[in-house]
Amino acid sequence: MTRYSARFPAPAALAVVALAAAAVLCAALPMHGASRGAKPVLIVAALCAAGSVAQLAGRMLAQGAARPAESYLPTLTGLASRAWAATAAVPWPQLLLVAVLVLEVLHPSRPWHTVLLGLILLGYLLALHLAETGARVFVLRGQLRLIAAGAALGAVSVGAGLLPAGAGSGWLTAVAGVAAVIAAGLALPV
Amino acid sequence: MPESSGINAAVVVTAGPPMQAPVTWRLSRHARRLVTLAIAGLLIAVLARRPEFAGLAAPALLLLLPAGSARPATVGVALAAGTGDRLTEGERATILVRVTGAAGFDAQVRLQAAAWIAAEPGVLGADGWFRLPFRSQRWGRRPVGTLELTLHDRWRLVQGRLRVDAPTAFCYPLPARLESRVVLSKLPTRLGEHPARVAGEGNEFSGVREFVPGDRQRRINWPATTRRGTLQLNTFAAERAQVVVILMDVSADVGEAGTSTADLAVRAAAGVGASYLAARDRVGLISFGARVRWISPAAGRRQADRIMNLVMTDSGDGERVDAVSRLPHAALPPGALIVVVSPLLSLRLVEALRELRERGFATIVIDVLCSEPAVGAGLVSGAALRLLGGRLMTGRYRRLEMAGLARRVWRMEQDAIRFSLRELGIPVVRWDGQSSLDEPLAPYTRRAMVNRA
Repeated sequence: MTRYSARFPAPAALAVVALAAAAVLCAALPMHGASRGAKPVLIVAALCAAGSVAQLAGRMLAQGAARPAESYLPTLTGLASRAWAATAAVPWPQLLLVAVLVLEVLHPSRPWHTVLLGLILLGYLLALHLAETGARVFVLRGQLRLIAAGAALGAVSVGAGLLPAGAGSGWLTAVAGVAAVIAAGLALPV
Repeated sequence: MPESSGINAAVVVTAGPPMQAPVTWRLSRHARRLVTLAIAGLLIAVLARRPEFAGLAAPALLLLLPAGSARPATVGVALAAGTGDRLTEGERATILVRVTGAAGFDAQVRLQAAAWIAAEPGVLGADGWFRLPFRSQRWGRRPVGTLELTLHDRWRLVQGRLRVDAPTAFCYPLPARLESRVVLSKLPTRLGEHPARVAGEGNEFSGVREFVPGDRQRRINWPATTRRGTLQLNTFAAERAQVVVILMDVSADVGEAGTSTADLAVRAAAGVGASYLAARDRVGLISFGARVRWISPAAGRRQADRIMNLVMTDSGDGERVDAVSRLPHAALPPGALIVVVSPLLSLRLVEALRELRERGFATIVIDVLCSEPAVGAGLVSGAALRLLGGRLMTGRYRRLEMAGLARRVWRMEQDAIRFSLRELGIPVVRWDGQSSLDEPLAPYTRRAMVNRA
């Protein structure tokens, strides 16, 4: 029926922790060249990373456990349960992505570093996906070509980023704008 | 019908025809994160004029491309018909679900259990049927719950959800165990299995008497003949069936759900009915609830089903509650043993029992009152108020003291009701719902219960 099982693989969960930490560190370092608002964003990114890891751990623990009816819980336990449910409903990984990208943009331009950060973030998302679904890593085999093509586009963008200002940056901006519209279009119909 | 694969395949639910259910599609959590990365990267690239962020977004954007593949708007959901026709409290049953029209998508089915239904993890059999085991924890006709179907594409970028109401389960109460039976001293002349006082053609030895011409020679008791010097003959007790009418009082339901007085009354009634029907007696049932409903005494398996159906359902029809003493002859035939299962909280029922006893019915009461009002839980009975003469009491201690006093009064009232019934010749035995009914009924099952008829 499915290549996805109900269990959470520990290696994928550990990879999530490592890649989340790596993404935050990669976007933050070095801090001395960053703009003034980098520190608060770094704190937010760290919080989001911790939140996403805690959310994953909560899902791992909650899987298969019977959830008692809310009305039968004692008051304090019920409040704690609701607070945890509200925290778990926050999309921590998405917030982490945005925070890390903002942190990166607050640094001076470093194209190779940015594309490397993108690959770390992609690895984080894929590891999170594997950890949540309990799938083996080989299910991503069919997507390797797409990932490789994406990495190649990233390399092209690095080249564009290394071009001096004005040399073709205008049409690259237009292409990026069109791609943003396509990405939004992919999300809207479903 | 799909084959069983290790799980009890007996399904005790009604199954509907295969249906086409609409699927609601949306991006999966994974896809939403990829979209976030792609859009955030591209926006930053445009706003900050840094093309490397567009390259950062490119892999995520490409991974999203397969999300636009074709998806079915509806899928077929088939629920399998069961092989069994009854489910008892605590018994395990299985719902079989098959999803069709979703080729290329991974399907997962989960049972969102309704109240008093305990769902267990489902498995997919090799035959393509999902098996969703569940247990019904309380008797009654109740919905099993909702089936939640989730469809995923190959890359888990989109997921479709649909909900289908699971069928209704008919759960019979777990009958109380009753091996021995209360038998009346005078039984109607109907062939059965209970040895009567009169001689007859049964199997149970009754005594010896002198041989008279016409007696069967094979019944001659030769040792007695040798001792007495004249031909002596074995005599046997006649075997008769008795008529049992179960009066199930569900007019009051107190106690914790699952072990309340109504639960205990229903289980006891089911157990008594099953036990007497197994002894080939004629059994009838009078349900004393919001209305009075009854089934005339009869024997056999179909009567057992009728009794169970009456026990489980409350259709709202029937006579008014004070009609017990005016029930028709068919519902209360003369000479019947009346087994009352009641918490004895309804004074109308108590009055009806007195009337029945005065009419000569042999009656025995199984008391299922297992809980009493808690002190301080809003307990102020009318008797307590009368006793206190309406004196105003203030303070928590006073209120608790008054509640304790009211409970004592309530206990005395209950004891008085039971005492008055015993004085009338109606035995009252207490059943806790846990043990076998044989224990409380033991004093009355060892010897025949005397009746007037």
